[in-house]
Amino acid sequence: MTKTQPDPAPAGGEGPDGSGGPDGTGAVSRARRILPVLGSLQAYIGLILIVAIGVITKGDIFLNQTNLTNAVGAFATRGILAVGVTLVILAAGIDLSVGSLMGFASMSAAIMVAHHDMPVWLIVPACMLIGAGFGLANGIGTAWLKIQSFVMTLAMMSIARGLDRKMSDNESVGTLVAGPDGELTENSESFQKLGTPDNNVLEGILGPDGIYFPVLAFLMVCVVFHLLLSRTTFGRHIYAVGGNPTAARLSGINVTFVIIAVFTLSGMLAGFAGPIDAAYSVSADPQAGYTYELDAIAAAVIGGASLAGGKGTIIGTFVGALILTLLDNVLGLNAVDDNWQLVIKGSIVVLAVVLQRPDLLQSIKNGIDRLRGGRSRTGPGRTPSKARVPGPASAPASEETPR
Amino acid sequence: MTEHAGTAPLLTMRGIAKSFPGVRALKGVELTVHAGEVVALLGENGAGKSTLMNVLAGVHPDYEGVIERDGAPAAIHSPKDAQRHGIGMIHQELNLVPELSVAENVFLGRELRTARGTVDKKTQEARARELLAGLGLAVPPRRLVKHCRLAEQQLIEVAKALNLDVRLLVMDEPTSALADAEVRRLFAVIRDLTARGVGVVYISHRLEELEEIAGTVTVLRDGAYVGTRRMAETTRAELVRLMVGRPLGELFPRRPEQHRGGEVRLAAEGLSYASQDGGPSLYGVDVSVRAGEIVGIAGLMGAGRSEVLQALFGHYGARAHGRITVDGRRYRPRSPGHAIRRGLALVAEDRKGQSLVTANTVRFNGSLAALARYRTPWRTVHRRRERAAVAGQIEALKVKTPGMETAVEHLSGGNQQKVVLAKCLLTRPSVLLMDEPTRGIDVGAKAEIHRLMDELAAQGTAILVVSSELPELIGMCDRVLVLCEGRLTGEFHRDPARGPQVGQEAVLTAAMARETVTTHHLRGTRS
Repeated sequence: MTKTQPDPAPAGGEGPDGSGGPDGTGAVSRARRILPVLGSLQAYIGLILIVAIGVITKGDIFLNQTNLTNAVGAFATRGILAVGVTLVILAAGIDLSVGSLMGFASMSAAIMVAHHDMPVWLIVPACMLIGAGFGLANGIGTAWLKIQSFVMTLAMMSIARGLDRKMSDNESVGTLVAGPDGELTENSESFQKLGTPDNNVLEGILGPDGIYFPVLAFLMVCVVFHLLLSRTTFGRHIYAVGGNPTAARLSGINVTFVIIAVFTLSGMLAGFAGPIDAAYSVSADPQAGYTYELDAIAAAVIGGASLAGGKGTIIGTFVGALILTLLDNVLGLNAVDDNWQLVIKGSIVVLAVVLQRPDLLQSIKNGIDRLRGGRSRTGPGRTPSKARVPGPASAPASEETPR
Repeated sequence: MTEHAGTAPLLTMRGIAKSFPGVRALKGVELTVHAGEVVALLGENGAGKSTLMNVLAGVHPDYEGVIERDGAPAAIHSPKDAQRHGIGMIHQELNLVPELSVAENVFLGRELRTARGTVDKKTQEARARELLAGLGLAVPPRRLVKHCRLAEQQLIEVAKALNLDVRLLVMDEPTSALADAEVRRLFAVIRDLTARGVGVVYISHRLEELEEIAGTVTVLRDGAYVGTRRMAETTRAELVRLMVGRPLGELFPRRPEQHRGGEVRLAAEGLSYASQDGGPSLYGVDVSVRAGEIVGIAGLMGAGRSEVLQALFGHYGARAHGRITVDGRRYRPRSPGHAIRRGLALVAEDRKGQSLVTANTVRFNGSLAALARYRTPWRTVHRRRERAAVAGQIEALKVKTPGMETAVEHLSGGNQQKVVLAKCLLTRPSVLLMDEPTRGIDVGAKAEIHRLMDELAAQGTAILVVSSELPELIGMCDRVLVLCEGRLTGEFHRDPARGPQVGQEAVLTAAMARETVTTHHLRGTRS
C-alpha cells in the first residue's frame, strides 16, 4: 500500500508508548503528557461530549447502571471485532470479513449447543479456532499471494456469509434447548451465561451481582491486546510493519509472519465474539454480524488508528467503541429516527478523522486565508495580503493548532 | 560571470520569515538571483534552505517578507503563482508517480493533446526521449517510473522541470543519487540553461560541486541569513566556517595507524545474483573485509554496488549465491533477520524509505533491529534495558534529539542517519554494510559519521561501504573495489605497497571500463 498522504504531525497514538511530539509547548500537548493514557485527545473530548448530552437530555435513565450495562453489552461484540481490526489496520491492512466471520462463528456455536449439546468450554475455543482458520486464510492471501487485504477480506466476507447461510439452511438456530424434563439443558443454560442480559458471571467474586459477560469479555480482550501491542516484541513488529514494511524487513522482522498473524488474531477474535452474539440474541441468525465490520473499523478510526498503518492504539479503539456505544444509546433514548442515526454516525467518523489531522485543519485554514487574500490581491497595486504579513491575530492562531 | 549592473535581478527575496508551530524556521533571509547566474544555497541540514525554497515555490502560503521578480513585487502564495512567475523546482524528495511511464511523468499536468483530445503519447514520448538524451539518460520513455533506478528518477525529475519553460530553476540536492559521470552531464545542462538566461538556485552539500557550477553562494545558518560571497573570492574553509559557525577539522579523519586489519570477517567468493526486474545483476563478485578494515565499493549507477550489500544482507534470499563466510563460518543468505543473527548490519541506501519508521520514536527505531536482545521470557520488551541501550547510543553517536520519545521525522537528516546507525550498532554487528551513509546530510554530520566509521573500525568492526562520492571513498577506505555492470573491474589500495594506489582517475577508469560497450549495446538494441 502506498502512502499518498505524508503525516507531518502524528495525531493519534503514535506508538506503543504514544508520546507527544517533540515540542512540549501548548496546553494540548501538556495535557497529553499529563493524561496517563494513550489514544487521541479528541476522542476523549468526544466521549465527554456524548456523556454530557446523554446526562442533559435523559440524565436519570442514561446514568442508570442497567442502561449502561445493556448499552455496552449490545456493542461488546463489535468492540471485540474492533480490537482485531485495529491489529490489522496497524499492520497497514484492512479486515472487512470480521462481521461475516462472527456470523459464521455465531451459527457454529448455536448448532454446537442446540444440535450437539456441547459444553460451553468446548464451544468457545472451537469457535475461536474456526475464526482463526478463516483469518489465517486472509493472512495467507494477503502476505503470500499478495492480494490486497481489502480485496482478500471482501472476498472472505462473502465466502463466510455464504457458508453461514448454507450451514443453517438460511434459518436461525435457537440456543435455548429444552431437555427431556422440559427444563433447559445444562449446556444450554451455561451457554446463556455468555451473553443473555441479567445472566451475570463471577457473582460474589466481582461484586455481589457479578459482571455481565460481554462487558467482561470486551474489557479482557482490550487489556490482553493492549499489553500485546505495547509490551511485546511482536507488538513492536506490528507497528514497524505498518509504519514501513521495508524498514521492518531490513530490521530483521519477518513481515510475512506478522501479516499472517494479525489476520489470524483478528479472525480468532471474530470467532470469540460469535458465541457471545448467539447467547446475546438467544439464537444465531444467518444475518448475524451484518455490517458489524463497519462499526469495528469506525471505532478504530475514531480512536485514532490510521488506515495507512503504524498508528493507533487499543485504548484509542476502546474509546472509539465507547463513543459509538454511547452514541447509539443516547440517540436511542432520545428516540432519534434510525435512519438519522446512521447519518449522524457517519458524520462523526468524518469529524473524528478531521480533528485528528492537524495538517488537514491547517490546510482548511490556509484555504480560508487564501480566499480572503485572493480577494485583496485582486485590488490594484501592492496590497499587503493577510497572508504575507500575518497580523497578531493569525500568528498565534497558527501556533495553537492542535497537535 | 556576467555584469548585473543596471538591470533588475531576476529574483530578490528580502526579509523572508516563516514560522511553523513551535519553530521559527526562517528569519530575515535574503536571496538575489540574476539572469544567467547559478546561486548556491548553502547551509547545514535544518538551516532553512528547503523552507526558503518552498516559500519561493508557493508551498507555504503564509510567510513574511518581500519577493520581487524582475524588480516588480510578486505575490507567491501557491504553486500556481510560482509557475506563473516562471519558477520551477526540483524537490529533494522525488515527486514522480511510480505507476506512470517516464514520458507521462515528464508531461504530468501538462499533457500534450491530439486533435481528437486524447493524450498525444507519441509526441510526448519523442520529446521525453529527447529531453532525457540531453541528460545522457537512455531510459525508454514508456518504462514505468517504478522500474527506474533512483538516479534515473532524479534525472527524470530534472527533465520534468526542464520541460516547463522556466526563468528560474531551483534544484534541491539534484545530485544526491547521481554518480560522477551523471553529475557531469547535469552540469552541462545547467550551463546550457544559464547561457539562455535562466537563473538557477542550486542546493547541495557537496562543496566541490558548488565550486564548479556556482557563481555566488548564499549561506544560511539556523534559519538566518549569514552572508553571500562570490564563489571565486571565497575558500572552502570560509564557507564551512560560515555554515557551522566554527572551523571544521579534517573531513575524513581516518587515522593512518588503523589501516592494518585483523582476521577476515567477511569473505564472499563468486557472489552472483540474477535480477528479475531489470535492475543490476551480479556476476561472480569477490569481496572480503577484515576486522578493522574499511572497504569501499565504487562504481557508476547501476553497476550493482547496492546489490552487493543487499545480496550479502539476505535481501534477495537464496536468489543470491556464492561462497560466503562470516567470521570464518559458512553463511548462506536467507533473510535480513538471518543476516542480523549472523552478525551483519546494513545502513540502507534510502534512510526514510528503507531504514526508519519515521512516524515512530527514536527509541522505537533505535531498538527495532535488536529487540531480541531486550526480550523477557514472556516475549515482552524489557523497557528499562531498551531505554538504557538507546540512551547509550544517543550519547555515543551524539544524536541531537530532544529526547528518545521524539518521532524521528522531526530530526534533521544527519541525526536520522545516526539513529539508523544506532539501530545497526545495537545488534552488535561484526560486519557493517553501509550504503551511501552520508547521502544528503550536511558537512558537519558527514564528518561525524566518518569519525564514527573510523572509531568502529578501530574497535574491530569490518566495514563495507558504498558511496557515490569518490573523495569520501578515497578519504575513508583502506581498499576500494570498483564495480562495473555487476563485475569487479578494479581494486585499489590506500597503501601503495599493497597494490595499485587509489585515486579518482584510476577508479573512474575502472568504473567506466565497460561503458563504451554498454552504449554500443543499447544503441544496437534500439535501432
